[in-house]
Amino acid sequence: MKLLCCPVNGLRPVSEFAYGGEVRAMPDPATCTDDQWADHVFNRSGIPGVKIEWWYHLPSGVWFHAERDVTADRVLRTWMPGEESAR
Amino acid sequence: MTTRLPPVDGEWIDRTKSLGFRFEGRDFTGFAGDTPASALWAAGVRTLGRSFKYHRPRGLLSAANHDINAMVQWGQRLNTRADVEALVDGMVLDAINTEGGVASDRLRILNSLGRFLPVGFYYKAFHRPKALAAFWERVFRRLTGLGRLDFSTPHIRTPKRYDYADVLVVGAGPSGLSAALAAARTGAQVVVVDENARIGGSLVYQRGGAAATLDQLRALEAELRAMPNVSLRPATLAAGWYTDHWVPLIDATRMTKLRARAVVVAGGVFEQPAVFRGNDLPGVMLASAAQRLVYRHAVKPMNTAVALVGNADGYRAVLDLLAAGVTVAAVVDLRPAGEPGPFGAAVRDRGVRVLAGHGVYEAVAEGDRLAAALVCPLDAAGNAVTGKVTRIPCDGLVMSVGWAPAAAMLYQAGTRMRFDAVTQQFVPEKLGDGIFAAGRVNGVHDIEARFLDGTRAGLEAARHAGRTVDVPMPAVPAETAAPSHPWPFVAHPSGKDFVDFDEDLQAKDFANAVQEGFDNIELLKRYSTVGMGPSQGKHSNMNAIRILAKLRGMQPGEVGTTTARPFFHPVPLSHLAGRGFHPHRETPFHPRHVALGAKWMQAGIWLRPEYYEVAGESREACIRAEVRAVRSGVGLIDVGTLGKLELRGPDAAKFLERVYVGKFAGLKPGMTRYGVMVDESGVVIDDGVIARLSDEHFYFTTTTTGSATVYRELQRLNAEWNMEIGIVNATGAFAALNLAGPHSRAVLGRLTSVDLTHAAFPYLGLRETEVAGAPVRLMRVGFVGETGYEIHVPAEYALHVWDALMEAGRAEGIRPFGVEAQRMLRLEKGHIIVGQDTDGLTTPDEAALEWAVKMDKPFFVGQRSLAILKKRGPRQKLVGFALEPGASVVPKECHLVIIDGAIKGRVTSIGFSEALGHHVGLALVAPDITAEGTALPIRVDNAYAAARVVPLPFYDPAGDRQKLPD
Amino acid sequence: MAALRTSPIFTALEAHSPEWGEHAGMRVALRLRAENAANVDTLALTDVSSLVRTGLKGPGAVRWLEAQEIPVPQGFNRWVPLPEGGLVARLARTEFLIEDGWAGGPVARLAAALRTTAPGVYPVPRQDCAIDICGANAPDLFAETCAVPFALDPPEARIVTLTTMVGVGVTVLRRDVQGRPCWRLWCDGTSGPYLWETLTSIAAEHGGGPMGVRVLHGDISQPVAGTQGGRP
Repeated sequence: MKLLCCPVNGLRPVSEFAYGGEVRAMPDPATCTDDQWADHVFNRSGIPGVKIEWWYHLPSGVWFHAERDVTADRVLRTWMPGEESAR
Repeated sequence: MTTRLPPVDGEWIDRTKSLGFRFEGRDFTGFAGDTPASALWAAGVRTLGRSFKYHRPRGLLSAANHDINAMVQWGQRLNTRADVEALVDGMVLDAINTEGGVASDRLRILNSLGRFLPVGFYYKAFHRPKALAAFWERVFRRLTGLGRLDFSTPHIRTPKRYDYADVLVVGAGPSGLSAALAAARTGAQVVVVDENARIGGSLVYQRGGAAATLDQLRALEAELRAMPNVSLRPATLAAGWYTDHWVPLIDATRMTKLRARAVVVAGGVFEQPAVFRGNDLPGVMLASAAQRLVYRHAVKPMNTAVALVGNADGYRAVLDLLAAGVTVAAVVDLRPAGEPGPFGAAVRDRGVRVLAGHGVYEAVAEGDRLAAALVCPLDAAGNAVTGKVTRIPCDGLVMSVGWAPAAAMLYQAGTRMRFDAVTQQFVPEKLGDGIFAAGRVNGVHDIEARFLDGTRAGLEAARHAGRTVDVPMPAVPAETAAPSHPWPFVAHPSGKDFVDFDEDLQAKDFANAVQEGFDNIELLKRYSTVGMGPSQGKHSNMNAIRILAKLRGMQPGEVGTTTARPFFHPVPLSHLAGRGFHPHRETPFHPRHVALGAKWMQAGIWLRPEYYEVAGESREACIRAEVRAVRSGVGLIDVGTLGKLELRGPDAAKFLERVYVGKFAGLKPGMTRYGVMVDESGVVIDDGVIARLSDEHFYFTTTTTGSATVYRELQRLNAEWNMEIGIVNATGAFAALNLAGPHSRAVLGRLTSVDLTHAAFPYLGLRETEVAGAPVRLMRVGFVGETGYEIHVPAEYALHVWDALMEAGRAEGIRPFGVEAQRMLRLEKGHIIVGQDTDGLTTPDEAALEWAVKMDKPFFVGQRSLAILKKRGPRQKLVGFALEPGASVVPKECHLVIIDGAIKGRVTSIGFSEALGHHVGLALVAPDITAEGTALPIRVDNAYAAARVVPLPFYDPAGDRQKLPD
Repeated sequence: MAALRTSPIFTALEAHSPEWGEHAGMRVALRLRAENAANVDTLALTDVSSLVRTGLKGPGAVRWLEAQEIPVPQGFNRWVPLPEGGLVARLARTEFLIEDGWAGGPVARLAAALRTTAPGVYPVPRQDCAIDICGANAPDLFAETCAVPFALDPPEARIVTLTTMVGVGVTVLRRDVQGRPCWRLWCDGTSGPYLWETLTSIAAEHGGGPMGVRVLHGDISQPVAGTQGGRP
């Protein structure tokens, strides 16, 4: 089983985590077109490479960001949202 | 007749412990430390099993876990490997896959029918005509196959364990033990596993007739046993490699899931058979098998041997045979130049006849036993010169022609392998992160080099695990000779030259498969089934690769290898069938439900009472009685499984308005409001009641199944939004009851000081007070359509409150009701259940919840999507429908509304309304059939139910039941 | 009428016909009918849910606790003991669990103070099932039930581990009692019966089992009249 490093709780088996999807910026609902909005809601990028994702440590309720190379399934680093510079 | 040797230094058997056992109806004895196979061999038994397809007699091939010639059934334990399982006193064993016993298996006739059973025959024949396929399947399942399953075998639950190590070393031979020692000296926690009953690997049995390796083993073992940070675990199999060095270790009693920081694979090599006619006869064995018999079990493998060799290892094995008193009639060396090294010289010095540039053309039997080897010179192309065949009588033939790396774990760990021309072996080219290879699996065969390579790998692993390494890395000298012969095949026109002993595959089967176009190693494997038997290719894959390479004019490295999947060895299912952890949650009222005869239903992770069984009453009658109790008296339901969230902070109202479709800023403290949650695409995902306790304090409920995910998503949203709020999941902290029915106010009034009159505590009101002395939050709710109070109480006081309510309501005949009654009650009110009356595409408009949506807010999740959807209009609408009283055709949930052959909707809820005297239901239907009175023909099997659209709610449309006089 | 608290695993304990006592308004199993006192050194599980506790979280939690003169564990997932036998556990970063000892502690005072809104301070209601697990074989029990090796942590580090045990989210820390290795474990009360049942059944395979509070924690209560456990 894979390990994932929670920035608060440390290295844990991946079974202690829930995946929260890729970190994506929401287009401004007030100004974007219907097509742009639909693209945001329904489309996800399947392009292999390094992605920033949301992960949740279930026992402690900590949401954090993980930078993951989805091709190699390697997590490069993890950090608390808004504290990227701290890592 | 016994062929037990006089005591051998280092032997594994304990001659003071004699064990009796039965094999195929005959009684035998052996010693502690024997395997059934070694004890049988010592007793002169040569036929230990029958082959899978042709039912040929089979003896020992590897005397290890690399073939299944000797597979036996031990009572209810099927498919026990007689050559690795420890002998146990009183064992009763039978060879599997025979008809009438291993000695006179009636199915041996199949051996002569071999030409009718070509490779892949079952793909070609027997599947047409289709009607006969099942018949043929039964036939083949009887003719082939493994042990017989006894369905009365008890269920065995084997506990599993988690374990941890800095460095896991797989294989306790010279390189593995050296690696363990080197790593342990850095202070690392080291676990060493080896599948064999004792540690030592080849140090135990590849001695060349000398004592040096045994002395080396004893020195290493003594040092390792003295180290507290080393755990030596023989008889433990590393069954696979999973991401981040997660390795299942299998021993006799359990599976241990070990997490290591670094792994050293020092699993060595599997000896490979030579391929010639009759290479499977009992008496023909791998040289290492003969060595194992001699040194582990003190069994003389044969009296007179012919050694077919293609490497120096074969000569060393000959020295071991000589030391055991075996007469070596000839060494048949496939190599024209013979063996130039010291082992070759030692053998020649002993006067053994060496036939260089020769091969074994055929092994011939008398009865079922090997009687002689037909030996002949090989021409320059390696073909037998059949005019010069010599017959050499022998009762044993040992094969030492090459090795294949035990690299499954390396492959699983993402190692890229290359074929090394010098050693004629696949070796690691690029290893995965934190995985290290040492010894023969790493292509290092020289014994002194293996100690060095082990030390190197151990140090590298320790460093990877974070230890400080302050000793120099040893340099490992390169190999100069090939321990594996590139072409250990001697062709014979009549075949019976086996490549895969599990699957009875002969050399020609591969040629046929390639000719039919299966000329890629993965295709060849699937078509021929090579390596797909229980041995998983340990003794066959390398030869298959060599054949394919030769047929295609390639190098083995170009052919490549098949994917090595875990598990590496078969693992008993009982080891996998561990304790199943299926967590469930119970509300604090659980013991009361049990006492009241609750019939349980699963609701997500919870158990909830579906209804309470009354002796002598049907399920239907019980549920209707519960409904009646609520409509005419007072009922009590446990709603503690609802998600319960606390929200506090200056931004609390603003936050709620961003996550629910409704408005909450204007909600007064002391009041509640229904809320609907949609996702980003505008689909209804949850609903609940939002209660405002104070300006900055809300308490709200979610659906039972939604509690964990809603809480999680709200937390995530606020990690993005950074609003000044705190959300607490209080689902388990609060128990909750709904006390409902016309008498609910009277009952509750006896237990609380709060003024329950309409004026003081109106519908949708909220009060923080005490009930029976316990702190509670009371909410006037109307889900079931009667005057009712949700009572939320800290879990520790839950039973106290339940008992007080039941006592207080005794005069009114208070009756607990279950989920089914609640479903009916809410259906009569037209209240939806998210997930039942909605699906993964239902918007609030479609679920008749448009009244709850406030589009005139700056933002809420899903708002933009709902705005877009509004332009399009709903694709479906939730409507109420009714059947005529006494209708004979009654639909169920998910039955379809069909008009003119087109599907126009489906039933989401239905039930018999006692209050109305007929069935009512909800259906999601096309927008053009929602008008009141529209006929909804609902197909039920071959009939149609005659339903009509009626307005919602069905029951008490004016809400008078909430206004009953105080 | 005084409301009586009930342990989440009351029913499971009741099956052992215990000698009941009372602590903080909750029935407490002092001694189970067939308990083996020697298990305290082998492996014993004791319900300590009756200890009162409260919680809070939020960016203002540290400052608030300091203002209440409560010691604050300095690192994330660390704990500190309280004078009367209780403890303060820091859960992840800014959440705290405060539990009284048998002799009392600040919980009632803190719970009352939490009723007053303070910026960045959010009360967390605690209705846990709390279990003490002690004895030499306790690590074997954990090795079968939890993938995280918290039992290897040195006790003096006072580490709090938030993890999953047999599928249930738990908070666990090591606090030895009278020199005996002992771990205290909290889970949501609604998961308590499942966790207790699963752990005690596995403990039986390691020579241990459930036990009343007396052996481990002494006489924390007088027996409740009429509930003397019968002799086997």
